Amino acid sequence: MERVKERAKVLEIKDLRVSFHTRRGVFKALRGVDLELYKGEVLGLAGESGSGKSTLGLAIMGLLPRNARVESGEVLLDGSKDVLKMLRDYGSRDVKFDPRKNEKLIKRLNKELREVRGRALAMVFQEPLTSLNPVLQVGYQIAEAVYYHDPMRLVRRAISRNRCTQADLRDLMTTLKTKGEEALIEEVEKRNLRGLEEQILSIWRRQDIHEAKKEKLILSLDKHKLDSKDRLGISIYLRGLQRVPVLGRLAKDALIKEGYRLAVEILTYLGIPHPEKVVRMYPHELSGGMRQRVVIGIAIVNNPEIVIMDEPTSALDVTIQAQILELVSSLKASSNRSFIFISHDLSVLAEVSDRIAIMYAGKIAEVGPVKVIFEEPQHPYTKMLMDAIPTMDKTELKAIPGSVPDMRSPPKGCSFSNRCPFVMPKCKEMEPPMVEVSEGHKVACFLVGERK
Amino acid sequence: MIGAFNLKKYFPVRGGVVGTQYLKAVDNVTLTVRRGEVVGVVGESGSGKSTLGRMLIRLLEPTGGEILFDAPEEEMVKYREALESGDKESAEMISRKYSLLRKKGSELRKLRTRMSMVFQDPYSSLDPRFRILDVIMEPMISTGYLRGEEARKKALDLLEEVGLPRAFGNRYPHELSGGQRQRVAIARALSTDPELVILDEPTSALDVSVQAQILNLLKEFRRRKNITMVLITHNIAVVSYMADRVAVMYSGRLMEIGDKDDVLTRPKHPYTMALISSVPRPRPGEARKRIVLKGDPPNLLSPPRGCVFHPRCPMAFHECGWTAEEVAEDINYLVQGKYYNVFGDNVKVIPLQDKVKVEGANPESIKKVLEVERENIRSLTAVKEVTEDSLLIIHAFQEPKLYKESERRSVSCLLYR
Repeated sequence: MERVKERAKVLEIKDLRVSFHTRRGVFKALRGVDLELYKGEVLGLAGESGSGKSTLGLAIMGLLPRNARVESGEVLLDGSKDVLKMLRDYGSRDVKFDPRKNEKLIKRLNKELREVRGRALAMVFQEPLTSLNPVLQVGYQIAEAVYYHDPMRLVRRAISRNRCTQADLRDLMTTLKTKGEEALIEEVEKRNLRGLEEQILSIWRRQDIHEAKKEKLILSLDKHKLDSKDRLGISIYLRGLQRVPVLGRLAKDALIKEGYRLAVEILTYLGIPHPEKVVRMYPHELSGGMRQRVVIGIAIVNNPEIVIMDEPTSALDVTIQAQILELVSSLKASSNRSFIFISHDLSVLAEVSDRIAIMYAGKIAEVGPVKVIFEEPQHPYTKMLMDAIPTMDKTELKAIPGSVPDMRSPPKGCSFSNRCPFVMPKCKEMEPPMVEVSEGHKVACFLVGERK
Repeated sequence: MIGAFNLKKYFPVRGGVVGTQYLKAVDNVTLTVRRGEVVGVVGESGSGKSTLGRMLIRLLEPTGGEILFDAPEEEMVKYREALESGDKESAEMISRKYSLLRKKGSELRKLRTRMSMVFQDPYSSLDPRFRILDVIMEPMISTGYLRGEEARKKALDLLEEVGLPRAFGNRYPHELSGGQRQRVAIARALSTDPELVILDEPTSALDVSVQAQILNLLKEFRRRKNITMVLITHNIAVVSYMADRVAVMYSGRLMEIGDKDDVLTRPKHPYTMALISSVPRPRPGEARKRIVLKGDPPNLLSPPRGCVFHPRCPMAFHECGWTAEEVAEDINYLVQGKYYNVFGDNVKVIPLQDKVKVEGANPESIKKVLEVERENIRSLTAVKEVTEDSLLIIHAFQEPKLYKESERRSVSCLLYR
């Protein structure tokens, strides 16, 4: 618990309110969400369908559709960058909401966020087949993600490999073996070969091959020189001519080709067998689990600080789900990345999360460390949800009566009041505030406030 | 109640260079369900569980095998024995009497009142142009079970029984929520007072809180009406809550069948073990051993030879059906990766017919590698011997059958021969 407090906040959401304007009325999807994400943690976001958990994910990414009105609230990246400012400035104004005007703003926002997405934020969607482009090779899609967010990285990689000599590689290899990874990075800087270090390290960190083989692979990096066409393409890019029609194509081709090499490294890292073959395949040729790995690969290739995963395992079978959960845990351990893991399945969240937030009807009902949420839940909804999940050792399931409220006119007061067995008169009148019951464990229920 | 014997369903896949191929969706499945029992069929997508369910009530015609409906238990046992001993005559006698597959026309229609099905997606299984009442009355009318005013009355009663107000009868499906629709689907399935209901993923499209409502409703009906159920689902927790017996399927084949408590708490088949260990549990921080299977389920157009599970099985051994290609791939991986310092660059691994040729390597060092890696890389167990010229001979394989592990459980794994 102490450690959680020390960690830096990477994302902060304050009083976020989003509603969807449709022909059948205004759906209030998020009704005042406060949440924060710390560095290096997995935050599980649980809730039933319609609770707003996916909308929250999209709002953080700035991927809201045109009919979404941001009524108030802030999404702060690294404590400063306010992602939704533009939309909120329009949405909070007291005028009639016009989706067309909102759409223009969203387009502007998208341009602005291109910087942020990829490098700071990335998202993995539920259905891998729909988030991959069926007519492009897997390697191309990974390469493209880098090409758009950080093309200079590809240029650096290509040029440094082209420039390095066998002697360089030998020296670097000795540095790496004797002094470790940080010394290697310094040495690479000194020799003005930036871009080479990630290629060396991606080989060096592989677990599946013998040291001698790694050494050989690293020493043979200088064999993969650029051909004349690629050299031309890169020099076009460096002269800033990538917007010139034919020349631009040459530049893009050269960089994407380098991206394929990067894609192979990423796929190896994600544990895909025969990555050199897989990058040349199309999404339909891969199985569900492999596709999801590829999507995760696209998300992490730019080393984002925050990865939002929206039901990443819901379309997969249990044995494949286990593989992906294992992968997420190892990604968390090997980097200081933060994850938001959205799922309707509390059992899945129990396996991967450090903290869990339970959403109900567009609000956070309870948030706290996993152990606390599962062992001492305080909100009646959380408690009832725990009793309703079938598990292998339960002989009785207690169903929650009723269904989720209509979000066009959510009930006054606590939104769970119409299904809650402990309902009190004031629940129907006022919205319960978030009360901190113990370190990092917050509950929005009058019962808890009462006891204190 | 109902028994399926060596049931097969092959879907033809036309086109391609090789001509028509057959996708073996269900292959040689034998399953009997006693009256009043709930049998859970679990498996991953593509394991053939839905196809099996559809064949059981003849929504799909099996390619081969037999289904006996409403036969007494002794007859079922006799039929199975006759099949095993090859006694065609007595098998024919029994099958003539009880076979569901031989029923036609009005006879079949009459049987249809005694069985029904609930589908996964309540959004597509209800006709949007029918009122709820008509949806529920439809099976009664089309089978001639009840008609007119009687059917109407019955439908209204059923609405109440599944926990919906009678007034819902005049609504259309789109006005109902997912949970309410699934209640309607259950009411429709129960309208002809069937003895057997096939439930195909009845709660997968629903939220947890609603799922519990539906499961409890089904349990209640089962208690009150003593309905036999076949519950098809990928959710092992649901099966554990509902079923008496559990059948586990993988790639169109039955892997293990037995009493729920036996199969789910003391699984015997390696696949069942892995499956159950990978079910996520709502116990954060609980230390437990999870068996994470490598790879994906096989392509059913060309399933692995021998046991379909052997390429992913952590316990597979020499007779499980390893091919030269599989062995060669793993050896190649070792030679190129982990043992690169021993073998160097000039080793070539070539799969031949039931043999693997390793060119440019010393047989002694191959033997040593096999010795060490055998425990982890199961395909290496299939190497029978290494000859002088580095030829690896592969063991003969055996096709697993359903073996009786104990009185009430059968497992399709050579470990239990």
